[in-house]
Amino acid sequence: MRAHIVFAALAVALASASPAWAEIGRVKSNVGVASVNRGGRVLAVAPGVQLEAGDVLVTGRNGRMGVTFVDGTRFAVGPNSRVTLTTFQFDRTRQTGAFVTSVDRGSLGVVSGRIARSGRDAMRVRTPTSMLGVRGTRFVIEVP
Amino acid sequence: MRGAGAIAALVLLQACAAPHALLLPGEDGHPTGALVVLEENGKEQVLDQPLRSARMARQHVSVRTVGKVKPAYGRLMATLPPPANSYTLYFVEGTTTMLPASRAVLDQIRADVASRPGAEVQVTGHTDTVGSDDDNDRLSVQRATQIMGVLIAEGFPREALSAVGRGEREPAVDTGDNVANAQNRRVEVIVR
Repeated sequence: MRAHIVFAALAVALASASPAWAEIGRVKSNVGVASVNRGGRVLAVAPGVQLEAGDVLVTGRNGRMGVTFVDGTRFAVGPNSRVTLTTFQFDRTRQTGAFVTSVDRGSLGVVSGRIARSGRDAMRVRTPTSMLGVRGTRFVIEVP
Repeated sequence: MRGAGAIAALVLLQACAAPHALLLPGEDGHPTGALVVLEENGKEQVLDQPLRSARMARQHVSVRTVGKVKPAYGRLMATLPPPANSYTLYFVEGTTTMLPASRAVLDQIRADVASRPGAEVQVTGHTDTVGSDDDNDRLSVQRATQIMGVLIAEGFPREALSAVGRGEREPAVDTGDNVANAQNRRVEVIVR
């Protein structure tokens, strides 16, 4: 019984501590059909929804999404797109990290942030045929 | 004949179907950066001029300069959230009492937050260069957390706020090490 209480208290402590660590960015705008897939679940999006590493941003034929990340990177996801936030690590004190995004299909507009500035090719974008190193700042990737 | 046309169309379709990358000019007068296609053989194709574009087929990368940005890309970039804004708040030394001049800045922050759906407010503490790096890291995050409390008391929503300590890494004024400086002991509020 006591073990259960301790476990429950620990779970609550972890649950309340984890969002601050798990959060890598937030949705800022969405129009049309747009969703976030997390571990097989489909989450509805709205401004303020928090994103985690591994999330997949998905839009339909008329869908769009605007996203900001904790390092200041900004994304615009175009229609008919599937964009996976494969890796996102960021040390908020040192402002260094690693960011890998996969554009599986569709279009992605980017303004890079602190991670791209923190080291050579610390930010990378993968497409089905290629790997890109981001050395700043504004660009578009399109995967037909 | 029709078969040949269909094959030609298919070849054309595949030619267009390769992923593309396009480097755009920097935002609002910021310099243009660079985008690099990292090939498997270790070679790099560098895009470092505005409107340089790479077409990335499986075995072949070709680079050219495009005449103008497609309207679809213009619409895409219009979807980007606005850039973050940064504000600096000053406090009576060693207290959480804001200096009168910072009150007006707080009102600007409030208005900025209200204009951004899903706004985030990142409170970033900075120290001067007196003391060790580790102590200053601790001090700066303590300060940021303290000021986060002030903003909560001022009515800012808890879930929009976060505290970050940058220590002495980003001084407002370059002083060299171990120099006390009031301008460097500050709290920066980033709204995004």
